[in-house]
Amino acid sequence: MDLDTHDRGAKGGYQSKVKVMDKYRVVGFISSGTYGRVYKAHGRQGQPGDFAIKKFKPDKEGEQIQYTGISQSAIREMALCSELRHDNVIRLIEIILEDKCIFMVFEYAEHDLLQIIHHHTQQPRHNIPPSTVKSIMFQLLNGCQYLHTNWVLHRDLKPANIMVTSSGQVKIGDLGLARLFHKPLHSLFSGDKVVVTIWYRAPELLLGSRHYTPAIDLWAVGCIFAELLSLRPIFKGEEAKMDKKTVPFQRNQMQKIVEIMGLPTKERWPFLTSMPEYSNLSTLTPPILHPGHHHHPHHPHHPHHKSSSAAASTSQLEKWYYGYINAHASTSSPASNGSLTSLGAEGYRLLAGLLEYDPEKRLTAAQALHHPFFGGSGSASGMGMGNASSTERISGNCFEGLKTAYPTRRVSQDDNDIRTSSLPGTKRSGLPDDSLRPVKRVKEA
Amino acid sequence: MAANFWESTQRRHWQFSKDELAQMRENLEESEQSLVQMFPLPQRRHLNIYFNQLTGVSELGRLGKRLGVRQQALATAQTYLKRFYCTVEIRRTNPYLVIATALYLALDSLTLDISRLGECEFYMISEMHSQLIVHQPYRTLTSLQSDLFLSQDEANLALSIVNDHYMTDLPLLYPPHIIALTAILLALVLRPNSPGGTATNLAAATAALVQAQSQVPARTGGSSQHTTGVSDKERQQEARLNKVQRYAGFLTESNVDIEGMVDCTQELISFYECHEQYNDKITREQINRFVKARGLDKP
Repeated sequence: MDLDTHDRGAKGGYQSKVKVMDKYRVVGFISSGTYGRVYKAHGRQGQPGDFAIKKFKPDKEGEQIQYTGISQSAIREMALCSELRHDNVIRLIEIILEDKCIFMVFEYAEHDLLQIIHHHTQQPRHNIPPSTVKSIMFQLLNGCQYLHTNWVLHRDLKPANIMVTSSGQVKIGDLGLARLFHKPLHSLFSGDKVVVTIWYRAPELLLGSRHYTPAIDLWAVGCIFAELLSLRPIFKGEEAKMDKKTVPFQRNQMQKIVEIMGLPTKERWPFLTSMPEYSNLSTLTPPILHPGHHHHPHHPHHPHHKSSSAAASTSQLEKWYYGYINAHASTSSPASNGSLTSLGAEGYRLLAGLLEYDPEKRLTAAQALHHPFFGGSGSASGMGMGNASSTERISGNCFEGLKTAYPTRRVSQDDNDIRTSSLPGTKRSGLPDDSLRPVKRVKEA
Repeated sequence: MAANFWESTQRRHWQFSKDELAQMRENLEESEQSLVQMFPLPQRRHLNIYFNQLTGVSELGRLGKRLGVRQQALATAQTYLKRFYCTVEIRRTNPYLVIATALYLALDSLTLDISRLGECEFYMISEMHSQLIVHQPYRTLTSLQSDLFLSQDEANLALSIVNDHYMTDLPLLYPPHIIALTAILLALVLRPNSPGGTATNLAAATAALVQAQSQVPARTGGSSQHTTGVSDKERQQEARLNKVQRYAGFLTESNVDIEGMVDCTQELISFYECHEQYNDKITREQINRFVKARGLDKP
């Protein structure tokens, strides 16, 4: 190609001023998805640290790649990431548009929550230390609050999207589905109809709400909190697939929520009855109370009786919570830095506040940060954010005090060529159980 | 970010002083001296008027109007155009392709035949460093409309002034709220048929700003004496003066950049004067001349 062309965008074709291969050396492949692939890279020009380079795959693939116009979601991610600057949101270094491909260069994070949770499920299974849980939650909420005060909805929070650096800083990543929610030009519902990986999807979305609010992110944060305690997704439903462009009611997922949270009622959630999928609620199996057991094979359909409806709407969350924080107490080894029991009643209250059915009553990120669970001050001494009036210190390093280090992200060497990379067929190379995760977007499945 | 203009890339990277802007443009022209000499172009504001017509903000609108494009998206497209031509000499580009691309980029959902446009899109995004979020005066305008009890006519006039400011350099010079506040001021004082024309309008606007700046409480010139025999016209006039004074008071309390507003006022009024000298035919011909001569319209 003619590198001396001056009339770029006019004659002779567009040439990027910055070449990705001049500036970065790819050291391995991290993951792939519907959007493209992510590589780990080092700087060639003395830039400190490592980098994650996200390469968007061109819309059409073939021998001769044509300019096809950049997808809406890519534009959105590029524009939003260029504006965001916060310790708890993954930092964009630069975007390089070269040879019909888009390379987004991010700071590199050694870990993510999926990987950390997975590590704790390895034998001997051991809980995540309470100080780590607290720090992760605080930092996650802090990043969330930043996004929300800047009118950004993440819409796809899940453990795999929450990065953690080797110094224990939590960074919200993958804003591929994020959107501004302040007076958008198009209704938030138009365009992509289904958002948020199903296990973390808020009940109002499952019930067909078209009104997207920051509360959907907080439900996901609640699910992540639960997963940090139990080391498995709290509502692990099976996704109903799209059927001829109609979005199906996600019965199985809603059932999983109801089994722990009880059936929602209009007393607790006044707008419940105006939800498009409200009528489907009556087809769910009400939870059956078995003291001490939250997982049980549920019986086929149960007719409602007035007498049972109070029980049907009773939340089992408290039982679920204490089941986990106490169950692990005996098994936690000395090396695991303490039992979850210390999270106490405030931990339950925070969890219940995040997993609140009514999105208007659900805790906001700001409210959650001021929750007594964090000492009530809404500030963490380790993070240089206001004074440390809390009785207990929440560290800005979620690994602080840990005696063992987590394994670093697995980076595969199979495909180091960022320039040629073929179809993204391979899944993320890191974790075996990742293949069990539902695909990111239904419409692309 | 949408909420936080002060932290935005617009504030950090796309707002300049007049000197900086002049310097950037001078550098661009110097880098293409022979092109600049060979293909003279009308003054920048006239180019902007021409582009504005193409994007469809005006009544004469073509591309944009046909597409039923919303005002904010058009304003965004015009801002992209301005940013792009801060870093690229216009004579090196096909402005029609660049305008189409700016619209395409601003519109999220517009579908056109893409191949060439897709390339220009890469060029444009790259020059703008992917900084695509644009803060606009419309939000301030809407929220102040009720706070300041603007009539529908006044609000409409302010809105069209905001639309017009995209044909000036103001979007690259001042934050959006200053533009909105200036547009409201002008909407309150501008009277199309006032004797003395722009000079009078400018004087009225400046007087209000001077008043706001000096923080002297407003006095209507002896109006309280006219208790009898006041015509409707005079009464209206007085109501309007009161409104302007209330607004001046509001500006004082809000502690806004009054000097910036004075400058915006002058730029806008001078733009309206220069609009009168705009010649569509000459502008079109001069642009088409370099596009054709340099084969920029060919793939």
